[in-house]
Amino acid sequence: MAQRVRRFRLWDYETVLPMTLNEALVLIRTNLVQTKGIAPERVLFLVCGFQPLHLATFLRACQAEREPPSPSEVLTGLYGDISGNLDRAADSAATAAAVAIEWNDIDPRLGLRAGGGWGSTAKKDILASAPGRLKLLADGIGKLAKRMPVAVLGPTLPLPPIDNTVRAQAGLLQLELQHHVAAFLLEAAGNPGVRIAQPPSASGDPEIDPKMELLAGFPYTVKHAAAVAQSLASALWQATPRKGLITDLDDTLWAGIVGEIGLGAVTWSHENHAQPHGLYQQMLGHLADCGVLLGVVSKNEQSVAQEALARTDLLFDASTVFPVMAGWGAKSKAVAEVLRVWNIGADSVVFVDDNQMELDEVGQTFPGMTCLRYPGNDAARVWQLLGQLRDLFGKPVLTEEDRLRRESIRAAEVMRDSGEAAGSPEFLRGLAGTVTLDYARGSGGDSRALELINKTNQFNLNGLRVGEGDWHRLLEQPGTLAVTASYRDKFGPLGRIGVLVAEPAGGNGGAMLRVSHWVLSCRAFSRRIEHHMLDSLLRRSGAEEIEFAFTQTERNQPLQEFLGRIGARESGRLRASHFRDVCGPLPHQMDEVTL
Amino acid sequence: MNAIENRVTQCFANVFPGLPPGQIPDASTDTLEAWDSVAHITLLTVVSEEFGIEFEPQDYVDLISYPEILKAVKDRLA
Repeated sequence: MAQRVRRFRLWDYETVLPMTLNEALVLIRTNLVQTKGIAPERVLFLVCGFQPLHLATFLRACQAEREPPSPSEVLTGLYGDISGNLDRAADSAATAAAVAIEWNDIDPRLGLRAGGGWGSTAKKDILASAPGRLKLLADGIGKLAKRMPVAVLGPTLPLPPIDNTVRAQAGLLQLELQHHVAAFLLEAAGNPGVRIAQPPSASGDPEIDPKMELLAGFPYTVKHAAAVAQSLASALWQATPRKGLITDLDDTLWAGIVGEIGLGAVTWSHENHAQPHGLYQQMLGHLADCGVLLGVVSKNEQSVAQEALARTDLLFDASTVFPVMAGWGAKSKAVAEVLRVWNIGADSVVFVDDNQMELDEVGQTFPGMTCLRYPGNDAARVWQLLGQLRDLFGKPVLTEEDRLRRESIRAAEVMRDSGEAAGSPEFLRGLAGTVTLDYARGSGGDSRALELINKTNQFNLNGLRVGEGDWHRLLEQPGTLAVTASYRDKFGPLGRIGVLVAEPAGGNGGAMLRVSHWVLSCRAFSRRIEHHMLDSLLRRSGAEEIEFAFTQTERNQPLQEFLGRIGARESGRLRASHFRDVCGPLPHQMDEVTL
Repeated sequence: MNAIENRVTQCFANVFPGLPPGQIPDASTDTLEAWDSVAHITLLTVVSEEFGIEFEPQDYVDLISYPEILKAVKDRLA
């Protein structure tokens, strides 16, 4: 068999050729060998109205490609019943769903296998019934999204030739149907559990395979099936978004070296042929709006950098940049200081610089950091960089906490500057803080809770990551107690910063709770919020003892230290009476929200 | 085994990962339980993909064993 370089990977940034069916089967077979004897952990339901055939194969290959290797399975429904298949998916053991809608799901007369006629009466009827049919699909998708993440792809195939126009001219029927579908997708996108997949890029190859459609009820060419699978899989299984971007200034944020030509001479304007830098600035502004932390590391005098960033004609709000580290030392040292201020790991950060030597120096010091070269004034490559940044920082849903993150980090720095006193009881009481523990929001629709579990490293009970579907299943378990913690004080709100999941541990009449997940954002350290959480949990549950599903990880030192302080580090257990002895007075007002 | 046979055999191995290589030359819809309608479409698709050839609807009815598929490939490439 001809050896091909594998060209298909999820989350690649460059345009890739679709996987072949043979390559997909090899991936599946490799995964089967790697995970032999283990029950499927990643179960995807492919919801479609056609025979799933190669689309199911490609989706299974996409699952098989995910790291770490895990046994996977793709479930499918019945031919010609996409609405029923949405219900079947919702009732299934799947933990994720991919929905591929085609025109004949909206009306069978828009497919090749029906004989309902393409006359004017039929066309009027198709248009009249489409909104109702799409409403049915929207209801089914809404129900499904309450149980698992759902990727939805609207019709990708050409309509049959039933408009009066030539193919080069869009017809009224086509435009009206597309209008109905766009409205349907827009409404579905408002559901936090739904991701609308981008249609595959036009390759020039045919999408429809009439022969296979008539022979087997599968409408896609093999290439198009691979592309559709890639669209759905990329929307469904997204990489964990980065949290912060550190940028260079000279010849990156602007054209020119400010220390040499002066702050009035650096430019990013179209008139000066430096618009790519302007685009980059606008991208930074957009990222800041989405809650991405922005920092500067520059070889400059601090005062010069600050003055240049104070220019009022910058195309983004430079006050969102914190911290600004300018100096003449190794950039890796300045980057380390930014990481300290942000209190996040290098693997959550992207570093952008025009100088490859600086990128190498930082990259060698922080191997987990994504280091990207700013490609000079080359508009095409800057455009590519912006797309890359979108993929690195994009997330399905923005939360209130994204907006709050930047300000809370500044507040934390003020607290840190207070030195030893910052942890004292007097200082904490003086914060006038309120901890809100919400026992009612532990629903699967709370994407922030899951985000915290999957992004938090330091105060994390065991480092376990949870898929969205598994998260829904966990919360559906009878007796499961899920609480999210929010916090605000005189420095402002931190938003939701903690999550704890517990369930009764057997055999002791409910007197013992087992805490399976517990995370607290690094922005909320040193405020004793963790004490408030345990205090509330013990009081509300009446449990006499807590068992922690603790696992030491490379990065959960803060959690280990906390368990050590309350005497639960070695045994993983905590008696309620002991906790009350060691806890002492709690500094903040506490509100509890229940169902 | 020549190059064409090797490649057809590899297609079978990809579609039927549980089939021992020694049994592939004797595989047919009668002898192989896993060779159902879905596997059949998949098999002929990967073979056509591998060799850049097309099968007609009647081929999907006629080509129901390894020797028949191998012969069909050789005929088309001849």
